[in-house]
Amino acid sequence: MVEHVADFPYLTCMLLAPVVGLTIILFLKEEWHFLIRVVSLSAAAIALGLSIYTFVNYDTALGGLQFVEKYEWVKSFGIYYYVGVDGINAPLLLLTGIVIFTGVLTMWELENRVKEYFAFMLALVTGVFGVFMSMDMFVFFLFYEIAVVPMYILILIWGSTRKIYAAMKLTLYLMAGSGLIIPGILLLYATSGINTFDMIQLHGVHFAPWVQKTAFVLLYFGFGVLAAVWPFHTWSPVGHVAAPTAVSMLHAGVLMKLGAYGILRVAMFLCPDGFQYWAQLMALLAAVGIVYGVFVGLAQTDLKYVIGYSSVSHMGIVGLGLATGTVDGINGSVFQMFAHGVMTALFFSAVGYIYDRTHTRMIYELGGFSKIMPVASGYFIIAALCGAGVPGFASFWAELLVFISAVKVFPVRGLIALASIVIGALFALRVVQKTFYNEPNPKFIHFKDVSPFLGLPRAILVATMVLFGIFPRLMLDLIKSAVVPFVNGL
Amino acid sequence: MKVLLFGPELYFLGMALVLFILSLRRQVNIRIDHQVALGVAAGGVVVASACLFQQGELFFAAYRVDLFSQIFKVALALGLFLVLMISHNLAHIEDRYHAEFYLFLTTCTLGLMMLVSAVELLTIYVSLELSSYSLYILVPLRRGDDMDIEAGVKYLFIGAVSSCFMLFGLSYIFGATHSTYVNEVMAQMPALLQSPIGIMGLLLTLAGFFFKLSVFPFHFWAPDVYQGAANQVTTFIATVSKAAAVAVLLRLVALGDVYGFGFTQALWILSIVSMTLGNLVAIVQKDFKRMLAYSSIAHAGYVLMGILTLSEAGYTAAIYYAVAYLIMNFTCFMVISEVAGDGRNLQIVELAGLYHRNPLLGLALMLGLFALAGVPPSIGFTGKLLVFTSAMKEGYFWLVLVGAVNGTISLYYYLKVVYAAYFLEGKELPKITTGLSTRALSYALILIIIGFGVFPDRFIELARVAVKGVLL
Repeated sequence: MVEHVADFPYLTCMLLAPVVGLTIILFLKEEWHFLIRVVSLSAAAIALGLSIYTFVNYDTALGGLQFVEKYEWVKSFGIYYYVGVDGINAPLLLLTGIVIFTGVLTMWELENRVKEYFAFMLALVTGVFGVFMSMDMFVFFLFYEIAVVPMYILILIWGSTRKIYAAMKLTLYLMAGSGLIIPGILLLYATSGINTFDMIQLHGVHFAPWVQKTAFVLLYFGFGVLAAVWPFHTWSPVGHVAAPTAVSMLHAGVLMKLGAYGILRVAMFLCPDGFQYWAQLMALLAAVGIVYGVFVGLAQTDLKYVIGYSSVSHMGIVGLGLATGTVDGINGSVFQMFAHGVMTALFFSAVGYIYDRTHTRMIYELGGFSKIMPVASGYFIIAALCGAGVPGFASFWAELLVFISAVKVFPVRGLIALASIVIGALFALRVVQKTFYNEPNPKFIHFKDVSPFLGLPRAILVATMVLFGIFPRLMLDLIKSAVVPFVNGL
Repeated sequence: MKVLLFGPELYFLGMALVLFILSLRRQVNIRIDHQVALGVAAGGVVVASACLFQQGELFFAAYRVDLFSQIFKVALALGLFLVLMISHNLAHIEDRYHAEFYLFLTTCTLGLMMLVSAVELLTIYVSLELSSYSLYILVPLRRGDDMDIEAGVKYLFIGAVSSCFMLFGLSYIFGATHSTYVNEVMAQMPALLQSPIGIMGLLLTLAGFFFKLSVFPFHFWAPDVYQGAANQVTTFIATVSKAAAVAVLLRLVALGDVYGFGFTQALWILSIVSMTLGNLVAIVQKDFKRMLAYSSIAHAGYVLMGILTLSEAGYTAAIYYAVAYLIMNFTCFMVISEVAGDGRNLQIVELAGLYHRNPLLGLALMLGLFALAGVPPSIGFTGKLLVFTSAMKEGYFWLVLVGAVNGTISLYYYLKVVYAAYFLEGKELPKITTGLSTRALSYALILIIIGFGVFPDRFIELARVAVKGVLL
């Protein structure tokens, strides 16, 4: 892979922005809520700005890894601080930037233990940025863990609905996943014969078939837990429901992508033969996840559970695309990661706003909510349309690509999944109808609609969805520049 | 300068004398006792650090001073100093025994220091007993309920039994090789390959250190002693004496190299059983110290994982892990002794609301626990990863898998404590005030836990050079 060393440490700055913000917050007084929010927002804005910069300035003609920075970290074990951007992680860095920025704005009204909240949230985001940009397996895993652990406290303190159970379940599931990832990456490290965790170098090693098969399955299930691969998804709806709004946004929007990204970047990249061996299983689990997510989601009465299960099914689409191992399939997968991230963030952000006012997320209680808060409801409806895969939004293109290649490679599984998506879309519209277009609940009549400032984060998310829905090639060309060499290496 | 070779030991001998004289006074002044002990112990850290790069042999080559031993001596001196830092409030020990308390901690440290340098079997045994006897006295020193007596008796009995095992093993080794020098024994070991006497003798000898490290099946004392002894004594047992035990294990296990599979297989089983048993039993504990006792059994299993690889990387990882464990475990114990200012045993629920009762201690506790659970960025995470990496390099795939799964289990009970500290409100519980020294100590520990976790390279290089002399 060609490397282009950065002339300025853009990626390090992106990574350090939340760290610096976090450090400043630690020294601020608990009561200075406004200042704490401003510091968090500035940190998020810097990270967002840099992620946009790398996204826009990535040169697809040059290809390869750009903005590379590489320093030796632990010499004796061959660990490097090695970060870079290619077509696969550039969209994901952008996604993280968008979600954290809108996430901070969404939590603007938080009053309870503000300082700790933003500190933990910035810690989490540091981990996410770190995972997406690392090209060193050890550092990758280090940041992966950093991203996973603050969730426990975020859900425990600021969550709702069975939060103690949900926080513990989520953390234990994810750590069990890590328990599989560690042996996986160490097996690759130990059998490579070169003393390095550098993934680009490890990619050049041809591992023995048994190593590839074992390591792949360990990494697939380990990362799969976070990507909510069926049957390891059960933590995800529960966790998303319990988490506070911005954490749900970050978690469903970004963290679940870490899992899928890990499967792509570590497991498939380093164990191509292992991938070929397990691809059938991957496709099967992904297809089951899609169907399962759609149908279980339909039976829910809590809006957040509806979204939680729809995430399971949408992440199934990502998995299905990866399993095809084709250029279109992986292209679609990466695009779906981005699109689903923005979409779920919008979903949770919209629900969060409604819940903060009404303290309910029950479909039947909300009734005709669009008559009371038309704008707030509008955001949710737009998200639901994206989820249903309506053309004009980014997720349409992503799902299209994945399903085209999935039907080619796995006809039966692909068609079943596709059919369930269509049925799901029908039902999603019924959820919208029941929640927003029935008789309004008189209890909520006095609520005011979203102010333009509080609506800002949702507007940004909608704009992103539409932008990449109308001009999908802005994203697809970029992704393709990395996926084509990637697939050739499989 | 031959004296410098023996410098740290001489210094601590002198410190013991000073404390002995203090203990003879009729008029007790506990403030002075503490200040003197603390001041002299601080000097000990300086002396041990100054002797870090000494090289040489003493006492007819029974005593080797090398980087390996000196690193551990610094760690031991530091450990003693830290324990004394949190001993400013010895509520559960009678005032007139304070000087003795410091005295026996010092003699124990002295014994441990000699232990890490000893390369002759009898010297090892005598040093070990010097440290053990000090602890036999320290454990029942606590005032109040009879729990301390039970703990003391249990510690003494199990300690004596494992000493017996050890002597028995030593006699086998001596009988078979006609030497008590470790390097001579090592040279003779290949000749014993056919007979089981060598491996039996060696395993029995290791028993004495498995006892110190609370490796299964010599772990029974740990929960009761942790709970029964005064908080500061427990801290010492849980941190300082474990680090020394790791050092000697590293020296002695190298003897089993020639036996290859059969020998490592035995350690393999002990490692797996220790970590699984420790972690599973820790889940149901309500007393914080008892929980940490079971967690220490589990951590002994992790250390053993690095040791049994018998490789340079594994030994380096084990040293790193031992020192990391000393620091993160100490952090937890510091919080215990601050929160339980009257010296009582701390239940986990009593930590409720620590985040507002004393935010700094809350943060330190959380980091300490996360480090113990192996969550990055902390020394615990780096240590665990290094141990796993070295084990995987030697082909112990299943061991690593079990270790990684155990990491998950352990997270559950550590999180229960974090849950108590950060989620339970504890409005009726009083605020906790800490002195300047404790605050400084907390900041220092937080910095070390994160700093050495993120930048471990210097220390790893140092440890790597040190183990070169041990693995022949």
